[in-house]
Amino acid sequence: MSNTMTTPIGKLYGPSLPAPDARRYSSVPRRILNRAWTSWEFRIGVAFLMGVLALTVLYPAFSDIDPGKAAVSMRFKPPIPFEGSNWAHPLGTDQLGRDTLVRSLIGLRYSLMIGIGTVVLMFIVGCALGLVAGFRGGRLGSIIMRLADAQLSIPMIILAITVLGVSRPTIPAIVLVLALSGWPLYARVARSAALAESKREAVRGARILGASDWRIMLLMVAPAVLPPIAFVSVLDIARMMIFEATLGFLGLGVQPPTPSFGNIIADGRKYLINAWWIATMPGAFLLISLTSINLIGSALERARNAVLKGN
Amino acid sequence: MYYLGFLVRRLLQGALIVLLVAMLIFTLMRVVPGDPVRLMVGGMAPDSVVQQASERLGLNAPIPVQFGRYLIRLAHGDMGESFVRPVNGSAVGGSTYDDPSRAERAAVLDLVAQTLPMTLQLASVAFIFALLIGVPLGIAGGLHPGRWPDKLAFYAGSLFVSMPNFWLGIVLTIVLSVQLGWIPSIGYQGFVYTILPAIVLAVEMAPFIIRTLTVSMAQVMSEPFIDAGTVRGISRGQMIWRHAFRNASVPLLNVFGIQLSGLLGGVLIVEFIFDYPGLGLLTVNAVLQRDFPLIQGIAVITSSIFVLINIIVDLAAAAIDPRLETV
Repeated sequence: MSNTMTTPIGKLYGPSLPAPDARRYSSVPRRILNRAWTSWEFRIGVAFLMGVLALTVLYPAFSDIDPGKAAVSMRFKPPIPFEGSNWAHPLGTDQLGRDTLVRSLIGLRYSLMIGIGTVVLMFIVGCALGLVAGFRGGRLGSIIMRLADAQLSIPMIILAITVLGVSRPTIPAIVLVLALSGWPLYARVARSAALAESKREAVRGARILGASDWRIMLLMVAPAVLPPIAFVSVLDIARMMIFEATLGFLGLGVQPPTPSFGNIIADGRKYLINAWWIATMPGAFLLISLTSINLIGSALERARNAVLKGN
Repeated sequence: MYYLGFLVRRLLQGALIVLLVAMLIFTLMRVVPGDPVRLMVGGMAPDSVVQQASERLGLNAPIPVQFGRYLIRLAHGDMGESFVRPVNGSAVGGSTYDDPSRAERAAVLDLVAQTLPMTLQLASVAFIFALLIGVPLGIAGGLHPGRWPDKLAFYAGSLFVSMPNFWLGIVLTIVLSVQLGWIPSIGYQGFVYTILPAIVLAVEMAPFIIRTLTVSMAQVMSEPFIDAGTVRGISRGQMIWRHAFRNASVPLLNVFGIQLSGLLGGVLIVEFIFDYPGLGLLTVNAVLQRDFPLIQGIAVITSSIFVLINIIVDLAAAAIDPRLETV
C-alpha cells in the first residue's frame, strides 16, 4: 500500500516520454560554458589561472617589498631551494637587489592589461567591420574585406617594430599596434557568420515589419554572431601577451623602470652565467599564466565547435 | 590555361600589396620623429654637413616625390644603399663625421642577399624539426580522438604555444650550452650553430601543425572512403599514410600560409637572441639604427616573398587535392 505512495508518477503510467532536454532551451554561450566545464583541460586551466591571479592581486599588497627599490646588499640572491636564498625573496633578487617575484607579478598585471585591452579593441573593430561587410555587403563590404586581405599579407612584426622603434612605445601605442595585427581575422569570421545569419527567416520577417538595417544588425545579427567569436578570442589574449613580451624583450614594449616580462628577461639575459634565475623565473611565471589561458581558450574553442555543430 | 589566369590575377594582387607595404613603411619612416641623417654623419657633425648630406640623399624633397623616385629606382632593381652600414662590414659607431670607413656604403640588395640564405637555412632546419615533433603527435591525436594520444597532443600544443621563444632560447642556452656544453649557441661558425635556434623556432611552429593535423586527421578518418578502403583490403598503415594523411595535409598547407607572418616574427627574435647572422638580425638592427633604405628594402622583399609563398601554397594545395578550386 505504502509502496504506491512513493512510486514515481512515471512508473504508474508506464514508460514516460523523454523529459524535455533542458539544455536545448538554454542560450548558446551557456551551453558552450557548460560543455567546456566538463573537460579537465578547462578545469586545470581555470584552477591555475585563479591561483596566478590571486597571487597577482594579493602578494604585492601583503608583502611590504617595493618593486622599484634597489638594495645593493641584497643583489643576486638565488630563489628558494638554493643556497643563500631567504623567504623574503622566494624567487630571488636581480642585479639591483629588486625582488623577482614582485616584479614578475607587476609585469603580469601590465601583460594581462595589454593583452585583454588589445583583444577587446580588435574584437570590437574587427567584428564591427565584419558585420557591416557581411550584412550590407556591396562595395563597402568588398573594400573592407580587401583591406583585411592586404593586412594579412603584410609582415606585421616588421611594421610593429618599425612603428614602435621609431616612435616612443607607450601603452596605448602598443595596444594599437597589436590590435592592428589582429582585426582582419575577426572581420573574416564575423562577416561569414553575419552572412549566414542574415539569410534567416526571422531577419526577413523583421525587414518586412519595417525594421531598419541598423536595428536588425544590432538587435538580431550581432547577438547571435558575437558570443561564439568571443569564446575563441580568449586564445588571442595569450597570443597578444606573448607579442607584448617579445616587443618588451627588444626594448620596444613597456619602458623601464616599470617592470614587464620582456624587459625583465632582457635585463636578466646579461647575467645568465652567474644569476640564471633573473631571466628564467619571470619567464616560467609567464609560461604558467599563458598555458592556463591557452588551456581555457582551447577548451572553449572545442566546446564552441561541438555546440555549434549541434550535438 | 586555368592556372595561368589564376597566376596572373594573384601576381597582380600581390604586386598591389607589395606597393601598399612600401608606401606604408616609406611614409611611416618619414613622419616619425628622429633624424637618420644626424645618425649617419655622426653626432658631432656641424649643421651644414647634416644639411648637405640630407640634400645629397634627397631627403629634403616632399614625401610623394621621394616615394616616386624610390619606385623608379626600385623598377631598375636598385634598392639604394644602407645609411649606416659600410661595405667592409665594420661596426657602426663613433661620432666623428669624416670617418673614412663610412664613405662606401653597402647596397641594400647585397645585404639582403648575404643574409637571406642564412635565414632560409635556419627556417628549413626548423621546419624539419617542427614536422618531426608535430606530425607524429598530430596523427596520433587524430587517430584516437578523445583518448590519451589526443590529450597528449592537446597538452603539448598548449604548452608549446605558451612558450615565449626568447625565454625558451635563454633556457636552452643555459641548459644545453652552458651546463652541458653539447651544442654551441651564440653566433655562427658552422652548421651546428643552426641547431639550437632551429629547435626554438620548431617549438614555435609545432603547435599549429599538431592542432591542424589532429583536427583534419580525425575528420578524414571518419569519412566513408576510409571504411571502403578497409573493405577493399588495404592495410591500415597504408590507409593512414597514403590516403588519410595526404588528405589531412591540405589544411596544414593553408595554415602554413596564414602563419607565415607569425613565423617571420619568430625568426626575427630567434636570430636576435642567438646573434645568428640572418635577415632577422639585419632587420632588428636596421630598425634600431633607423636605417631607412634598409628597412624599406627588407619590407619590400619580405612582403614579396610572402605573396609568392602564399601563391605557391595555393597551387600546392590544388596539386595535392585536385578538387580544390584555385579561386
